[in-house]
Amino acid sequence: MSLGDVYLAPINGAKCRSEGAMARPKLQLRIAQSLVLRYGLALLSVSVALGGALLIQRFQLRNITLFLFAIAVAAWYGGTGAAVLALLLSFISFAHFFVEPSQSIPYFILFALFAWLVSWFSSVRRRVEAELEIEVSERSSLLNLTHDTIFVRDMSDSIRYWNRGAEELYGWTPEQAIGKSSHELLRTVFSSPLDDVQAEFLRTGRWEGELKHTKADGTQVIVASRWSLRRDEREQPIAVLETNNDITVRKRREQEIQTLNQELAKRSTELEAINKELEAFAYSVSHDLRAPLRHMAGYTELLQKKASSTLDEKCSHYILMTLDSAKRMGNLIDDLLAFSRIGRAETQKTLCSMTQLVREALTEVRDDTEGRNIAWKIGALPDFYGDRSMLRLVLVNLMSNAIKFTRTRPQAEIEVGCADGNSNDLVVFVRDNGVGFDMKYVNKLFGVFQRLHDSDAFEGTGIGLATAQRIIHRHGGKVWAEGVIDGGATFYFSVPKP
Amino acid sequence: METMNKLGRILLVEDDPKDVELTLTALEEYNLANEVIVARDGEEALEYLYSRGKFKTRSSDNPAVVLLDLKLPKVDGLEVLKQIKSEEKLRMMPVVVLTSSKEEKDMVASYKLGVSAYVVKPVDFHEFVNAIKELGIFWAVINEPPPGSVRK
Repeated sequence: MSLGDVYLAPINGAKCRSEGAMARPKLQLRIAQSLVLRYGLALLSVSVALGGALLIQRFQLRNITLFLFAIAVAAWYGGTGAAVLALLLSFISFAHFFVEPSQSIPYFILFALFAWLVSWFSSVRRRVEAELEIEVSERSSLLNLTHDTIFVRDMSDSIRYWNRGAEELYGWTPEQAIGKSSHELLRTVFSSPLDDVQAEFLRTGRWEGELKHTKADGTQVIVASRWSLRRDEREQPIAVLETNNDITVRKRREQEIQTLNQELAKRSTELEAINKELEAFAYSVSHDLRAPLRHMAGYTELLQKKASSTLDEKCSHYILMTLDSAKRMGNLIDDLLAFSRIGRAETQKTLCSMTQLVREALTEVRDDTEGRNIAWKIGALPDFYGDRSMLRLVLVNLMSNAIKFTRTRPQAEIEVGCADGNSNDLVVFVRDNGVGFDMKYVNKLFGVFQRLHDSDAFEGTGIGLATAQRIIHRHGGKVWAEGVIDGGATFYFSVPKP
Repeated sequence: METMNKLGRILLVEDDPKDVELTLTALEEYNLANEVIVARDGEEALEYLYSRGKFKTRSSDNPAVVLLDLKLPKVDGLEVLKQIKSEEKLRMMPVVVLTSSKEEKDMVASYKLGVSAYVVKPVDFHEFVNAIKELGIFWAVINEPPPGSVRK
């Protein structure tokens, strides 16, 4: 089987009969390469013919066939120049040894005609072969243009063709690869048993799968491999065209993605578990922590009631402090539960009017403003998209903070307005002229139960800003604050534009 | 007291002895503690309601109200409530959940099962006493219980 036979087949799809097209032009080219060789061939063939003819002449035979053969050989393999030389040499020899000069003209014509005929045949053949060769090399170079790795192996796994892609991927030149067993050279590792692969391949004529190959430098590559089976006219399998794509990087990324996904799944399971635990924790706090507290308060109060007449002032004070602490702890637990509930509750987002929400918040904080002199300044406020009750809680918390921390001012000023945000966010602020805070501690402001003022001056558990922050974070926004000691504070929050 | 004449029986289902003591103390203050049956877990509550076990010989009348804690040993409060509401003989009996839990899911579950009221035990003892007093007066005195309930 010739090489051209195999690798042309998959290209034009039809059975291309060009057997020998590669082998013979090569031989011919090699002979025609050298002028010396070509004319030498003419000389040699005529000499051999002369020798033969002289030998035959001893038996009284005169034979021109040998000369014609010599001319034919020279014309066929040596080209026109060699044909002319052989013609002249043959004629001179023939005229000299075998015929009278006067009778030699017809022989010359005969030789010349014969030389011309053979040369013509030869040139036609050469043209056809050249065309074929061009075609073959064009197709061969087409196969070399592709990024794919393509090689052809026969049924005994011997490599018969090896394109540039194969050379680039595996590192062996065609000369090194051709003739070798492909599976041995590439140390092929199949993902399924080779027998199964072969059986499927021979049955369907095609196979696709992933293989591991080892390159010339010893590194391993993963390839997406496609095999096509070529059969002869008797439907006998004769060769395999194997096209491989290097998918090592892709596989590695897939592997990485898979690992990351697994990691992510694990994390999310963990998070889910943690969430469940937190929920159970909150539930437990709600139930179990409040009960002993209630008992402490209850029994202390009963004690206070029963023993009030016999207790001195100090003891009464102790009981009062115990009750006060129990009450405070009750409030802390309630706040903590409310805070945890905000993290767990589902947000129901609708388009809300901030102006309306501020109005509602003002109603809610009205009790705190009694007996106070507060100048409210409510600016134009935008509509936004969010959970109505949660965002109202944010406003209530910020506004009641402002009310609380302006308590020491004879004339409190509280402003609610809209600040310039970027193109994606709406920014709302609540500004007051209250006691302010040290910017050094700004990071502590939004922590759970973090307080910057002592609880004698300003009551509260320190959950309001943490709750506000949690709500705003759940809306995809941010909270921040600016303040000056004794110079007022401004609290900002942003929510994404609707 | 005039109200004593028609004081209903209260079934208090509560596992915590301190809570029982404080509740009874609160009820005592208003002379409501005489007709209180205490069950210390869900199973005991059901035994009482179905006149089983140690309550085999009790009179067949239902209490005027059940004060039911949710977190109970053996059979929890919601399960007790579910059984009460699925039993023809018991389903009309008022049940008040009296619990420490402010959790929404407990409230929703209780109301879905048809609870008459849901009361969170206040931490403050004054409020607690008030709550118990009001519950006792309302359910054991003011409210007209369904037929088949105990009235003295």
